[in-house]
Amino acid sequence: MKITEEIKISDNGFVFNSKTGDSFNLNPFGLELIKQIAEDKDFESIRDVMLEKYDVDDLTIEKDFYEFYALLKYHQIIAPGDPLDFK
Amino acid sequence: MSKLKYEKPVISKITAGVPNKFGLPAKQRIISEIDGIPVPDLMEEYGSPVFVLSEKTIRDTYAEAKQAFETRYPKVQFAWSYKTNYLDAVCNVFHDEGSWAEVVSGFEFEKALSNGVNGSNIIFNGPEKSEEDLTLAINNNACIHIDHFDELYLLIETTRKLNKKARVAIRINLDAGIYPIWDRFGFNYENGEAWNAINRIMLADNLEMIGLHTHIGTYIMVASAYAIAASKLSNLYMAIHRKFDHWLKYIDLGGGFASKNTLKGAYMPGSETCPSFDEYAEAISNAIISSEIPHENLPVLFMETGRALIDDAGYLLTTVLANKRSTAGRRTMVIDAGVNLLFTSFWYNLGVFPSKEVSTHVEESTIYGPLCMNIDVIRDAINFPSAKTGDQLVIERVGAYNMTQWMQFITFRPNVVMIDLEGKAHIIRRKENLDSLQSFEVKPNK
Ligand SMILES: Cc1ncc(COP(=O)(O)O)c(C=O)c1O
Repeated sequence: MKITEEIKISDNGFVFNSKTGDSFNLNPFGLELIKQIAEDKDFESIRDVMLEKYDVDDLTIEKDFYEFYALLKYHQIIAPGDPLDFK
Repeated sequence: MSKLKYEKPVISKITAGVPNKFGLPAKQRIISEIDGIPVPDLMEEYGSPVFVLSEKTIRDTYAEAKQAFETRYPKVQFAWSYKTNYLDAVCNVFHDEGSWAEVVSGFEFEKALSNGVNGSNIIFNGPEKSEEDLTLAINNNACIHIDHFDELYLLIETTRKLNKKARVAIRINLDAGIYPIWDRFGFNYENGEAWNAINRIMLADNLEMIGLHTHIGTYIMVASAYAIAASKLSNLYMAIHRKFDHWLKYIDLGGGFASKNTLKGAYMPGSETCPSFDEYAEAISNAIISSEIPHENLPVLFMETGRALIDDAGYLLTTVLANKRSTAGRRTMVIDAGVNLLFTSFWYNLGVFPSKEVSTHVEESTIYGPLCMNIDVIRDAINFPSAKTGDQLVIERVGAYNMTQWMQFITFRPNVVMIDLEGKAHIIRRKENLDSLQSFEVKPNK
């Protein structure tokens, strides 16, 4: 789970990808998640932080996290791993 | 310490240039209740999905249409187009308001009779009339609208066999300046076919010619097309008087008024672009009144308006089953109502709305039905807030054609509920079940 080098994230939720030229908006939750991902935390620790802070259950966090994560990959914000690494 | 409110994390790509064609709506519309009954209460009681019809909206819409015509033309009679929605409870509201019945099959004819409609107040249209159907119609003194010459000769034969008279009109197709011209039904005006048919009917002993009919198409967005149609029928009406010294009783301009739904591919929403009842009524009434027909011999004007009278009164309540991301990153949502229940989703971008405040984040989404079939797409591109599994949604303007053209496919057809004028809900068609469906099946004895 690594944010690509070309990504710049500003504190107001603006994301710029200098490799593709794309820019993005994050809502506050998206910003909070992406910052934690940038700190190289794994899902379990991110989940525990969110559970502590927000009124939400673990399954909702898990579902939303992975959907968000898939979008980050799709937009090339996170470096792709080997998609078939289960082989 | 109390915890903070959670909201789903979202990332959205910023696209340069033109925003969406109407700009983003200031606030997502919500439909939280129908005629005073909260959506969750309706779904708890009657299940999901469920069709809900508002009797109040039906009556209000009918009153609006009737007033548009009656303030402009002396004699107007609506005939409820059964195929648009022939649930008995719906038909009975229209009949209670004074509508006759317009039917296009033996089945619909029998349904109208069983709803207590007097046979002479039934208009029998369509290209499919068997000898048996014609016999039923003749015996009930219905207005038979002849579609083609083969039917005309079959009718003459049938009246001879029964030794009875039939009251008839002909369906006429004509160029009203709109395309496509529906020339597959009836006799053509421009090439003289209609006039030939009239002459043959006027010679037939057992046929009493009482009217002229046309139905120029459906979802007609230009009111002036009706003016052209009305003046062409007025010409024939006068020609019949001149040649045969016979005044017909009525001119029937069919249905076809656009409902406020938005057609696929339309640039503007239907609610902005569709003519009002007043505009249609103005075009039709003016054309007849300003024709050669003397005022004292003006025909009764029949209207067979279908979709414009019932679409707004119908809702489909449905539940979100799942959210997914397509491989292209697009948000997709699966709901529990499919195209088998929503035939009109093939023509319209149906309005889909949350039933309560959901997220403020709106994203272009695709809404799929639950069928395990690729065609099951309710909306292919709609700006929609993120809704969770279990959230309840409302699809509006589904009163016309869906409850007749629906298909029993993969799932049961759901309950249909009508909310009466007192705000009380009644089941008007029960959800199907295994027994009701299997009751039609027979296993061969080996
Ligand atoms: C003969 C006839 N009359 C009336 C209607 C009702 O049309 P609409 O729902 O467009 O008003 C139809 C529908 O096709 C029709 O065929």
